[in-house]
Order: sequence, then structure tokens, then C-alpha cells
Amino acid sequence: MTHDVGVREAYAAHSGELYGFAMRSLEDPGLAEEAVQDTFLRAWRAADRFDPELGSLRTWLFAILRNVIIDLGRARATRPTLGGELPDVGHEPFEDVLLNWQVEEALRRIGEQHRRVLVETYLRGRPYAEVAAELGVPEGTIKSRVYYGLRALRNALEEMGYEG
Amino acid sequence: MRADECRIWRERIGALVLGQLDGDERTATEAHLDGCPECRAEAAALAPVAAMLSRADPERLTPAPAPPAYLGDRIARRIAAERRVARRRHVRLGLALGAVAAAATAAVLIAVVASGPSSAPSETVAFRALPNDASAQATLEPRPWGTAVNVRVRGFRPGTLCTVWLRLANGVKVTAGSFRYVYDGESDEAGLSAAVAPGDATEIGLRAGSKTFVAPLPPDSAATSSVQ
Repeated sequence: MTHDVGVREAYAAHSGELYGFAMRSLEDPGLAEEAVQDTFLRAWRAADRFDPELGSLRTWLFAILRNVIIDLGRARATRPTLGGELPDVGHEPFEDVLLNWQVEEALRRIGEQHRRVLVETYLRGRPYAEVAAELGVPEGTIKSRVYYGLRALRNALEEMGYEG
Repeated sequence: MRADECRIWRERIGALVLGQLDGDERTATEAHLDGCPECRAEAAALAPVAAMLSRADPERLTPAPAPPAYLGDRIARRIAAERRVARRRHVRLGLALGAVAAAATAAVLIAVVASGPSSAPSETVAFRALPNDASAQATLEPRPWGTAVNVRVRGFRPGTLCTVWLRLANGVKVTAGSFRYVYDGESDEAGLSAAVAPGDATEIGLRAGSKTFVAPLPPDSAATSSVQ
């Protein structure tokens, strides 16, 4: 991280996720950009304190982003607002938002067929028969996709560093 | 073991851990798990994933927004700008103070110290032993709006009016502000500001009373220059 190359590599590898999460948490593109920028600036300034033996770069960057978002929330809480309602920051505990976002991100990474059955049968609670008819496949296929979908989700979560 | 037989049960494990199996099928699957350590292990591995899945909001699964293309370059520029001023720079300037200081002869030491993240703590070296030292030290820090200039002076006559400016390469003088030197033992630092980037300034100037002191800001931040 001490060299530009290090920052660029870290940015290439993690900015998408950090930005996605900042958007999920702050719900404002401008603030999300600010949060990601602050995260990499702070990371660069504190590069000496990054110890790969204590955790991955990704985990470290998310920990910095966490502080940045909390600081942004504080700054916004003390800033007078003009009319329009600003989205609340931090009304959900940060760790919860992070976990929710991780699952959503993992779901985005698995195949469309797998995601679809998990979303329809579980998150939306629709009967297998209905989803099977909609997709034009037998119910047994839905069941099988639910199983392989969960396995794919587990792999995606593990790739993202989740140790459940 | 019994790979074909397990395959049928295994594909039910997903529905099982999600609580989607009804009566008979659920009982039958659980009975199989009781006698099959492999399938039991698979169910145990997927149960936490099922618990995690409930956290997802199905309305938020549209492709995640990507950061704008310019953001990476903007961050790289900000880091480059910080690095430029982060390197410690010393500019020394020795001058007779005469009318400014109470003593007959003193010296002004303007140390331009960029207090960046990777720099060592600032360090000011006296270059001449004087009976009555006067010193001035400026710290330049980049800000979104320009440069924060913190000036600390010592040894002037109390009440001395001090003005500080930065000069650009084209000769234009940008005022950073003014203050009166009143040393009360504690807060002897004046926080001033100038609307130029630290890297654009070529010179810092301090007028104290009727005397003017200037120190060049080397463009190469690593360089140390001194003017006597």
C-alpha cells in the first residue's frame, strides 16, 4: 500500500465491493464516493499498520470504511438540513448492514438459475409448484437448484472472506 | 458410500435446512441423515448459509452500482498530492532582526515542515547561537480549498503585527492572513489559510513589524535548501 502501485492494485481488487457497500449503507452516490476515497486515503496513510498476518487486505479496508461511514454519519448528524430528508446513517447496527450486504453480494455472484430459486422460494416464500410452473421445470428441479444454489452461496461467501 | 442413494437425499438437504420440506418428506430425509454421517455433515455445513440467506433483501439484488470511472484516478491524484508535501522540507533563512526583536541581533528560522502522514516528526535546527533567539516556523498542509498554514513564532516583541503570504511561480502573492504576536506561554500558533495548493507555492513570506522574511519552497519536496 505504500506505493501507488499497491494502492492501484488494492483499488482494482476492492473498490467495487467497498463502493457497493457504501452505497448500500449511505444510499447516496456522492457520499459513497467520498467514503471510498477516504478509505483509500486513510489506508495509504496507515499502510505501515497493515499486517497481512492479522487479516486480509479486504477485511482491513472494510474496517477502515466502517470508521469512515461512522464519521460521515456523525458529520451529517451535526449538519443542519435544508428541507429534504436525508437518509439515516447508522440506524441499523453497522455489523448487521455489513452482513446483509455480504449475503446480497454473494447472491449476485452465483448463477441466475440458482439465485432465482433461492429468491422466489425462500426470500419471497412462494410455493415450489408456482415457481416450477413459472420456470417451466419440474418441482424436483427446483428442489435440486435450491440445494446447489445454497452450496454456490456458501462458496461465494467464503470467497468474500465470510467464516460462518 | 451409496453415492447414488445419497444423491437423492442430498438434493433435499437444501430444502430441509431452509425449512421447505413438508411432513413426510422431511421425516424421511431426517431419518436418512440419522444414518448417514456424510449427509449429516452436509446439512450442518449448509445450515449457517441458510441462516445468512434470510438477511438478504430481495429488492436489493439488482446489479450493485459500480464506482464511477474517475474515482480511481481522483484517489491516485489525492495520494500523489499528499505525498508531495508529506516529505519533510526544511528551508532555513537567517536574517538579522534588529528592530523586530528586542535583542540587537537575532535570527529567524523559517522551517517549512509539511506534516504529512509518512514524514518524520518535524524538526527544527538552530543554526546559530544567539543571545535572543527569534524563530518562526510554518507548517503547510494541503486542504481541499488550498493550504492550511500554521505559523509559530517566538522571540518577537509582544504585539508585533505579522502577516504571512505564499507566492506563486508567476509572482502573484496570495495572502494567508495576519496575527499579532502575543506569547502567553501556550497558544503561540496562528492558524492561517491560503487559497493555493501547497505544491503551487514557490515561496513563503513573513512580515513581522517592519521586517520581511521569505523562504523558498523547493518544488522538489525532498530537497533541502538554505539561504543565509
